[in-house]
Amino acid sequence: MIIAERRPLPEILENISAYKKILVLGCRGCVAVCSAGGDREVAILAEAIRLGKALRGEEVEVLEKTFIRQCDPEYLEPLREFEKEVEAVVSLACGVGVNLIADLFPNLRVYPGVDTSFYGANLALGEWVERCRGCGDCIIDKTAGLCPIARCAKNLLNGPCGGSQGGRCEVRKDMPCIWHEIVERLKARGELERLLEVWAAKDWRPAGGDGLRVRVREDLRV
Amino acid sequence: MENSLKIALLCCNYTNLAEREDLAQLLGGVEIKRYPCSGHIEVTDILRAFREGAFGVMVAGCEKGSCHNVKGSKRAERRVLGAKKIIEELGLEPERVEFFYIGRLDSGDFVEKAKNFYGRLLKIRLKEKAQ
Repeated sequence: MIIAERRPLPEILENISAYKKILVLGCRGCVAVCSAGGDREVAILAEAIRLGKALRGEEVEVLEKTFIRQCDPEYLEPLREFEKEVEAVVSLACGVGVNLIADLFPNLRVYPGVDTSFYGANLALGEWVERCRGCGDCIIDKTAGLCPIARCAKNLLNGPCGGSQGGRCEVRKDMPCIWHEIVERLKARGELERLLEVWAAKDWRPAGGDGLRVRVREDLRV
Repeated sequence: MENSLKIALLCCNYTNLAEREDLAQLLGGVEIKRYPCSGHIEVTDILRAFREGAFGVMVAGCEKGSCHNVKGSKRAERRVLGAKKIIEELGLEPERVEFFYIGRLDSGDFVEKAKNFYGRLLKIRLKEKAQ
């Protein structure tokens, strides 16, 4: 899922400093699962804004709402009822939601309440770790399902660098060297020779090198 | 008054039976809010207490191993960490909110810790004024 983290409160407060009535808008998608932008986080940010404004001697009315998703025009439709009521929206959705609001509601001022961080797995309560970089040209069929683009600090495609020691990454010593793990896993499976295959050069255009990424499926369009 | 400030005490219903009279020595105002379990105390409750004028907020839950809901007081302790981060970002001293494990139904322990916390808050305010 998409992992996000609340932006620093002074930045959020600065963005909305001119407004007296705002909406804190959550999303029940990824950001709710990673505890950054669901109902509870909406309530916390709204209360933090009220307190922050009160400490600055400023008045504010903060409305709270959470939509099922913010990355789909259909689910953003209820925002129309707030469009004239509030001066600004602080969205706790990922950047996709904020952009879509900006696209669909050009007269509405929308500000991000979170920084969109990465695609990650929830390994334990309160712990998320990157597992995919969304590069659009998956190679994990060749690497035992372990992604060196997301999990190698140097994004290496041809085995471990000379710096890893004892199976640990030299850049992040708290992380395993993913190439070490790939090699060990393929060796255990008797498939190490797969790494001797010459791969075609990785196509980085789907990673964004070719501009805005768009996917259209004619079979789904009506 | 130099030795007067308002504090909010958010606690589990089962940690104590203390009343305002037991805390009469704490000048300035004491707000006691009880919850079915300290695990039910949200970050928003702590922030709201500050917005409503509390200089400090004490959150109290049953001591480890005695929470009726097993992990309620542990959750409350963690939420206080979350609240500390928020109030610090807003420019308040994080020490103005603290979590305390209290002996179950031990009002004496509760009152004692509230008084100690009150004393620490007075020092924070004095330091603030000195700056």
